[in-house]
Amino acid sequence: MAEIKVEGLSKEFGVGEDRVVALENVNLDVGGHVFVSIVGPSGCGKSTLLNILSGIETPSSGKVTITQDNHDAEPGYVFQAARLLPWRSVMDNLLFVQKDRSDETKARCQKYLEMVQLGDKVDKYPGELSGGMQQRVGIARAFSIEPDVLFMDEPFSHLDAITARSLRRELHEMWSQTKKTVLFVTHDVGEAVELSNRILVFAKGGKLEDDLQIDLPFPRDPAEDAVAVAKAQVLRKFEELDLIAS
Amino acid sequence: MATTLEQQAPGPRSAEEERLLALRKKEIRDRWIWRLAGYVFFLLAWALVSRIVGDNLIPGPLRIARTIPELIESGRFFSSFGATLTRIGIGFGLAFLIGIVIGVLTQSRWWNGFFRDAVTISLVSPSLIWALTGLVIWGFEPQGWIFAIVMTTFAVVTVNVAEGIRALPKDLTDMSRAFGVTNWRRQRDIVFPFLAPFVFTALRFGFSVGWKVTVLTEVFSSNEGIGFEMRVASQLFRMDELFAWAISFFIFALVLEKLVLQRYERKFFRWRAEAST
Amino acid sequence: MATVVTTAPSPGRGLPGWVKSPKFARILFPFVVLGIWYFIYYTLDSRIFPAPQTVAVFMWEEITLTSGVRYSSAAENIYVQFGITLMRLTIGFFIALILGTIIGLAVGISKKVDAFFHDWVMGVLAMPALVYALFLGLALGFGNLGPILAVVIAGTPFVIINIREGVRNTPKELIDMARSFEVPQNKITRHVLLPSLMPFFFAAIRYAYAVGWKGLVITEVFASDRGMGWTIKFWYDAHRAHGVIGYAIFFIIFALALEKLVFDPLADRAFKWRPKMDAVQMAEGDFGGVQREGFLLIEDQEIEEGVDTTVAKGGNF
Repeated sequence: MAEIKVEGLSKEFGVGEDRVVALENVNLDVGGHVFVSIVGPSGCGKSTLLNILSGIETPSSGKVTITQDNHDAEPGYVFQAARLLPWRSVMDNLLFVQKDRSDETKARCQKYLEMVQLGDKVDKYPGELSGGMQQRVGIARAFSIEPDVLFMDEPFSHLDAITARSLRRELHEMWSQTKKTVLFVTHDVGEAVELSNRILVFAKGGKLEDDLQIDLPFPRDPAEDAVAVAKAQVLRKFEELDLIAS
Repeated sequence: MATTLEQQAPGPRSAEEERLLALRKKEIRDRWIWRLAGYVFFLLAWALVSRIVGDNLIPGPLRIARTIPELIESGRFFSSFGATLTRIGIGFGLAFLIGIVIGVLTQSRWWNGFFRDAVTISLVSPSLIWALTGLVIWGFEPQGWIFAIVMTTFAVVTVNVAEGIRALPKDLTDMSRAFGVTNWRRQRDIVFPFLAPFVFTALRFGFSVGWKVTVLTEVFSSNEGIGFEMRVASQLFRMDELFAWAISFFIFALVLEKLVLQRYERKFFRWRAEAST
Repeated sequence: MATVVTTAPSPGRGLPGWVKSPKFARILFPFVVLGIWYFIYYTLDSRIFPAPQTVAVFMWEEITLTSGVRYSSAAENIYVQFGITLMRLTIGFFIALILGTIIGLAVGISKKVDAFFHDWVMGVLAMPALVYALFLGLALGFGNLGPILAVVIAGTPFVIINIREGVRNTPKELIDMARSFEVPQNKITRHVLLPSLMPFFFAAIRYAYAVGWKGLVITEVFASDRGMGWTIKFWYDAHRAHGVIGYAIFFIIFALALEKLVFDPLADRAFKWRPKMDAVQMAEGDFGGVQREGFLLIEDQEIEEGVDTTVAKGGNF
């Protein structure tokens, strides 16, 4: 079972007067087959947290451990923009992040591309695909290394509402099948309520303000009353925390 | 497969698409017609001026078209091209290496400070001063023209390479780090393909600048090569030969560009062409 | 987790701070050049290779007119020679600017006109200065006309390319916006079209001047009996290396002064409103003569702000 443990994590940028606090003393414990969303206003350090977890940035202080059955876990990452190599085909983009290029690996990549309905686009270049398709490749890439945990940084925020919705469904499907631990950053409360078991609310200045459980059955349709009510409750929570005004 | 294509072609194409396609075709045809008109106009104007001023002072296009085969027959053509191209190859080859090394070095602020003025000076000063300086010091020795070619062209390479490195896509390198991709593969799959177009640009500019300074050095201190031939032609008042040399090299460069560079580019940058369609 | 901050490699990690600063490196550079010069001076077995101090003395005597060298009755000293070149450059430059702007506007507005001119502009651009220098010398003799025409031939293609790019980069959406508010055409021209053309026009001026000068000095060697180009050739023919090197340094000072004292301040003033000059993407594609210049010509602090200057990269030598 994968477990993400964050203890006393802080991150600051700059020095002196330019000092900006992105994260302040964050403590977290996430594990098992859960889908955790991190929501908050822009500038609350959501993306910084994900960057630290995935090793792109280093923390100013604090400790992060990501384990799978007591040894180091392997994370996968889906970015806000797809971040594909424009000069490599779809398949080569997946192979780029693999440890080897065996037939087995290729078959695995093919499998995940088919899961995102791009089985017939393996030889295309990213430039030939639509934005939604590119983000699908990004998702397939993250799943294809069969990671223990999956970090996603607002992966659907650049897409139109309809494409985003169908991708959310696919993502939920894949999450249920593969039983990963997912940490999902978003600014869209509706998206968070639709997808997650747990929502972490961050405030400006990088403070973890609240930790909400959403105990509704999947799949969730945003048009359903229960889901809409849950969303309203989360938004009310936002107002209580004075997040919207600030 | 063929059948599906046949079925698809006329079927889903809407009237709007038809119209756009026709418009596009017309645009291409118009461009060719106007281009042709340009050739006709300029060639006729050239011939007319030549007729008025005199064929000896300004040789007409036909005269030059006859002179080029004459030069080829005389045997001087290929030996001169060979001599000049050898000089460009050696001089610009060296400048290319130096330019890349400095371009990579200038990523560090210290080396950037160190080489900044050298690059500025190379960019803004005329090739004439490097040619004369190199030649007055080394005379007919190769160091003279090598110095001149290197000093005029290395900065072109440096600036392009440095710009490429500076623009390296950080989002992609961050992505590769998040996925734990090895450094070697990162170089091969991100850095190299990204820098390739910048290196091609450097090659192109460098070559065009390099050949101009090469012929200049040949005028002053050589008894072979295109520059030398141009000087002899002007001393003998053979204007047709002077222009014939210039035009043949222009054609040569054009062929090099179309047949060699563009073919490689197409291979390298297939992803770009596909992206734009 | 320990925080490791990686920085670009800089030499001499154990050295004091000022040695590691880019400013020190910049000051160090001329001394390194001087060192190499002395090294060549002492190792090269050449009677004519001068020591740096010989060149310095020569340059000083040229500036103070104490050398006793009189070049010719028409232009006896460095100031007259440089003045003649500057005059030819300025006249040729204005002709190139007018001619280039007219053609540039035409090829920018109409794709058909562009097709008409394209290959011929490219041909002129690709022609080495040597060719027209030799031709002009034979055709027009050693007067002012040949050198002035050389500036026109060298400079015009650059003006055409830049103006063409400027016209193609006019902000269509802003013009549409203005039209939807029924702003009169002359107001659109004044507030939208001209400001958007300005950076390209400015780049055209800069390139045409720089490239025109490079072509001009070569032409002065072959088609003139005075001017900067002729003067450096005079020392070359006299086989006096200190004269050639001294004048080469004068050339460099002249070019740098033009860049730093004329064009940089002009650029600053012309583009006060814009944070970046990125939009001045020159025609790098088919004409291949010019391109945006990188960070090498700007101050350290400006690198972070992303301010760029433009400079000729290809040039018509």
